[in-house]
Amino acid sequence: MSVAVTTAKPTAKPAPEFRAGGTDFSERRRSGVSQGAPIDISAAGSKAITWDADGAALIGALATIATIATDARIAAAYPGIAASAQGLATPQVRQVATLGGNLAQRSRCWYFRRADIDCLKKSGSTCPARSGNHLYGVAFDLGPCVAPHPSTMAAALLAYDATVTTDRRSALTIAGLLGDGSVSHADHTLAAGEMIESIALPAPLAGERASYKRAISRTYAEWPLVELCARVVIADGRFQLVRLAAGGVAPVPLRLTATEVALSGKAANSASIAEAAKAATSGAKPLPMTAYKLDLLQGLVRDVLERLSD
Amino acid sequence: MTTTTVNGKPTALPDDPDALLIDVIRDGGLTGTKLVCGSGVCGACTVLLDGTPIVSCLLPAQAAAGKSLTTIEGIGSTGLHPVQKAFMAHDALQCGFCTPGFIIEATAFHDGWRATKGTATPSREEIAAALSGHLCRCGAYEGIYRAVAEACSGRFDGSDPIAPRLEARDKVTGLARYTVDIQHDGQLEGVILRAHVAHAKITGLDLAPARAIPGVAAVVPLLDDDNMIRFVGAPIAAVAAKDRHTALKAIAAITFKPEPLPAVIGLDAARRDDAPVVFEKKDRKRAGNVSEGAGGAPVSWKGNVRGPSAPFSQKAKQAKSWLAEARQQGNPLLVEETFRVSTQQHASLEPHAAVAKFDGDQLIVHISTQAIHESMEKIAKRYGLPHDKVRVIADHVGGGFGSKGSVGLETIAAIELARAAKAPVRVAFDREEELSVAGYRPAAELKLSLLPSTEGRLKALSLTAHADTGAAVNSLIAGLARLIYPAEAKELVDFDVLSNLPPGAPFRGPGGPPMSFALEQAVDEAALRMKVDPIHLRKQWDTDPNRQRLYDWAAGLDVWKNRKPAGSQTGRYRRGVGVATGYWLYLWQTGSSVELAIKGGRIVASCAVQDIGTGTRSVIANTVAKAFDLEPQDVEVRIGRSNLPPGPGSGGSRVTASVVPPTLLAIDKLKAEIKRTASRAPAPGSNAPWREMIAASPDIAVSAKRQEDGEPPPGVRPALHEAGIMGRVFGWVLRLMNHMVVGAGVPSSVQVMEVEVDTWLGHVRVLNAYTGLAIGKLAAPMLARSQAAGAVIQGIGYALYETRETDPSSGHILSGSMEDYRIPGIADMPKLEVHFDEAGFEHVPGGSVGIGEVATVPTSSAIANAIRDAIGVRLTEIPFRPDRLVAALKGRDAA
Repeated sequence: MSVAVTTAKPTAKPAPEFRAGGTDFSERRRSGVSQGAPIDISAAGSKAITWDADGAALIGALATIATIATDARIAAAYPGIAASAQGLATPQVRQVATLGGNLAQRSRCWYFRRADIDCLKKSGSTCPARSGNHLYGVAFDLGPCVAPHPSTMAAALLAYDATVTTDRRSALTIAGLLGDGSVSHADHTLAAGEMIESIALPAPLAGERASYKRAISRTYAEWPLVELCARVVIADGRFQLVRLAAGGVAPVPLRLTATEVALSGKAANSASIAEAAKAATSGAKPLPMTAYKLDLLQGLVRDVLERLSD
Repeated sequence: MTTTTVNGKPTALPDDPDALLIDVIRDGGLTGTKLVCGSGVCGACTVLLDGTPIVSCLLPAQAAAGKSLTTIEGIGSTGLHPVQKAFMAHDALQCGFCTPGFIIEATAFHDGWRATKGTATPSREEIAAALSGHLCRCGAYEGIYRAVAEACSGRFDGSDPIAPRLEARDKVTGLARYTVDIQHDGQLEGVILRAHVAHAKITGLDLAPARAIPGVAAVVPLLDDDNMIRFVGAPIAAVAAKDRHTALKAIAAITFKPEPLPAVIGLDAARRDDAPVVFEKKDRKRAGNVSEGAGGAPVSWKGNVRGPSAPFSQKAKQAKSWLAEARQQGNPLLVEETFRVSTQQHASLEPHAAVAKFDGDQLIVHISTQAIHESMEKIAKRYGLPHDKVRVIADHVGGGFGSKGSVGLETIAAIELARAAKAPVRVAFDREEELSVAGYRPAAELKLSLLPSTEGRLKALSLTAHADTGAAVNSLIAGLARLIYPAEAKELVDFDVLSNLPPGAPFRGPGGPPMSFALEQAVDEAALRMKVDPIHLRKQWDTDPNRQRLYDWAAGLDVWKNRKPAGSQTGRYRRGVGVATGYWLYLWQTGSSVELAIKGGRIVASCAVQDIGTGTRSVIANTVAKAFDLEPQDVEVRIGRSNLPPGPGSGGSRVTASVVPPTLLAIDKLKAEIKRTASRAPAPGSNAPWREMIAASPDIAVSAKRQEDGEPPPGVRPALHEAGIMGRVFGWVLRLMNHMVVGAGVPSSVQVMEVEVDTWLGHVRVLNAYTGLAIGKLAAPMLARSQAAGAVIQGIGYALYETRETDPSSGHILSGSMEDYRIPGIADMPKLEVHFDEAGFEHVPGGSVGIGEVATVPTSSAIANAIRDAIGVRLTEIPFRPDRLVAALKGRDAA
């Protein structure tokens, strides 16, 4: 909508932005939320998936989500990564959206996405969602901004201990890339002009299994209310390893360490999963409108882990 | 300069790094590719880039450099693709605006499938996953499933099928031109400057800075003469410029001073005693209108609350006192509950759009409208022009659902800009305007009390509705409960609650779905408490003959007979079955006229009516073809032009019942005229005598106006007669003021829904939907089925997903994109059984009445009852989102 903006905006020249697939950038540019000119990088980096002798993958930042979703070797080695890629956005968007772009995308908060509303991510001084309508906001209130991080792939990569290399820094963890959720002006820690180059995944563990699911209202094509990527190693009917990374609940993807610890060495059955799922919300601090996300988070933990224990 | 190849033709790409692929495609004249959401959600802009479907609304144009693009115009250009043929044959489309995107995606899926799987048939799940990036607002999903499955299985490899929808070929090939596609020479683009505050007085509006910008041809003010802003998005001015970019720059240059006033947002805040008043007494006439009919008697106001309006109450005091007594006595049969329905946006995929052009003293306006003839009259009146100097055109309309029934701001802005600029101007709302200021079905709070008598009859009913109408009045929800389930006493009270939100508008059966949501859940609850079968109870309480037959059908369904005891399940997934009833008024429009002519040996039917996806062309063609033993495609149907004989508006489900009867009259006249002017009789024993006579006929024309209905059988009465004298008064007013007649017989629906609730993730899925409809004979059976299916899926959206979200203090609409305003996708479409009971309207010439509204009225309440059946908890507020489900299961209030 063409809206009258009466308050004078800072006149500093908006910083240019990298554009890969453009699926996030184009929308912000059309709506006027983002004013910076695009710098096309779609030919400026790698889109290849390469494998080392140990079976670890290195994914070029410009690999498309569709490539990751359909690559047979990724699906075999990192089923949680493949399933996450299959679950996000729509088929047409996945064809052009890149892994690097997915990690660097901006918030989906509906206040942020309106050009005529100021917020912490747009040099405003308060978070209008916190005092206003935060139905899709965080349930782990870790910083001034209450928008959950939008990157599904970030949660999946967190579950896999992936590291990110930029043109300036190497071996950044997902926490290193996205911060701890306390910083609200940005969606990541990338400096101006810093570009993600590749994402490294450690070799998969012997016998590990993984899965992903998002809780949404419709069947497909919706930003997750809550999402979960889980990896397990089960031996002799017991959990040897449990890795849980949740999205949609906090300003950054979260490891559910309390549940991981609670399940360690426990029987891989629905009773122990149900018990440990309760710990998934430890440390949660829901907003007035987001308590439901904690129920969904527990439900997802049970859903995904039960399927992996079958 | 870089180039791409579009449908095999080399095409230059602009150097502008901001240029998006869709603009290159559409500016090049390939308008089959549609811009709808602009955020990659709906898929209407999908094209093939080196054979892969991508959304062109987000892709930088430069990304296509050196690649090969295929648009809908490039699919089947040398013969229809099997997917296109299948879409035509299965009527996998209605308004057609989403169709090119679906076809592109489905052809890619089909070609890949055939290459690897031959002629195996894909499952519903496989098709749904492949098409999950596409949205259809009409709800053609059922036909799309069938079409894609059968195309993949090779059933459409052969010759072109005959489509039940007359214009289907134009819609599957991208040739159908909608208002947004019109491109006159020298056409300018108009953009509207809108307010970003909810309540303010504007002073010092200065348009000069906008006029000074190169490329700007006209700037016009749009503020009302009180200079008031009453909602975020209220119009201030409009600019016409050489392109959208320049126009946007120009509106940003306009200056003014908003004097902010205290604002109040939404139903609850606006009812408080200290709430700022939105419309002072002198300004009340400026409020919009959310109803299809004229306003009734004068209604009192108190602050922002307009009402009570209770013309359809019946012994209201008696109802009150019986209910109070039952409450005091703790009568266990007394059902009392407060229900809430949410705001539903029309979300038509073609936005509100108009293209105005002055040709000498002739004004030509293409409008995406539901009312061609009436728009022409209103524009002529507004600008003091004779009727023949205004031509309104709408060949194809990309959905409306009630929101395009009047002359809107897009049309006024386009006309005024075109006049000022002396050039053609297009104004098309963007998606955010469409999902915020283009109208909606108001949310409402519904307080209901229902008391059965000791003998098991319906004794008393009280329903009080407070509708969240924004800057508008005239909601009618509670009153509609008078026309179903006769009781000894009913207290039915409607209030409008005005606040600083955009005005509501009519939406498919306006107050019907909200009324049904409350009443049908209460009847269900009464049946539970009385321990009787809910269908049996309705059969007892509801006297309508059409619905009596539908109850018998519903009661015989296996899904109903085999349902589990209510609330008896304990696992994660719980299934439930629910029933609900709906009705709508049988309406037709007086003066509706149809001309039948023979031109060059071909039969031509003409009427100034529009087809918004409902199938008007086919209804007329079928009626004519049947009478002359022709095929529907032998009949040329001319609609969508205001200079044709006056036709009805597409609102109130009135088109079929308005155009079929005069068509039948005209058929009789034409037959007589053909015989009279024939130079010779058809060959003896000819098996196509009419075809021969038409081919040999000189050019002749006859016309006919909608006649009165025949005498209905005893007991068949107009729905309004249930409401006694006030109902008759209401009927007279409708006829006098709106040229609408409420005819005898009540279009009815009974729906049975089977749902599955995932209690862990709060997810509700409708597994199976059964919809029984009594709407008379089917003028176009396959299209009627499409409408029925579309009504169900739109009702599912209302029940499960759709709601407008606002900021409670600033009044900004937060759900202004299709990511945040969630309409159902193909995977959300349940398996569907449609039952048509064709009796009940034999007194209507042709025997057909409308389907659009009645078919969607009971869906949300049937789903609500099914959820209650599954989980043993009644949810009283839609949409039934995961947050509400998990809260209800834990006995907690949702946020």
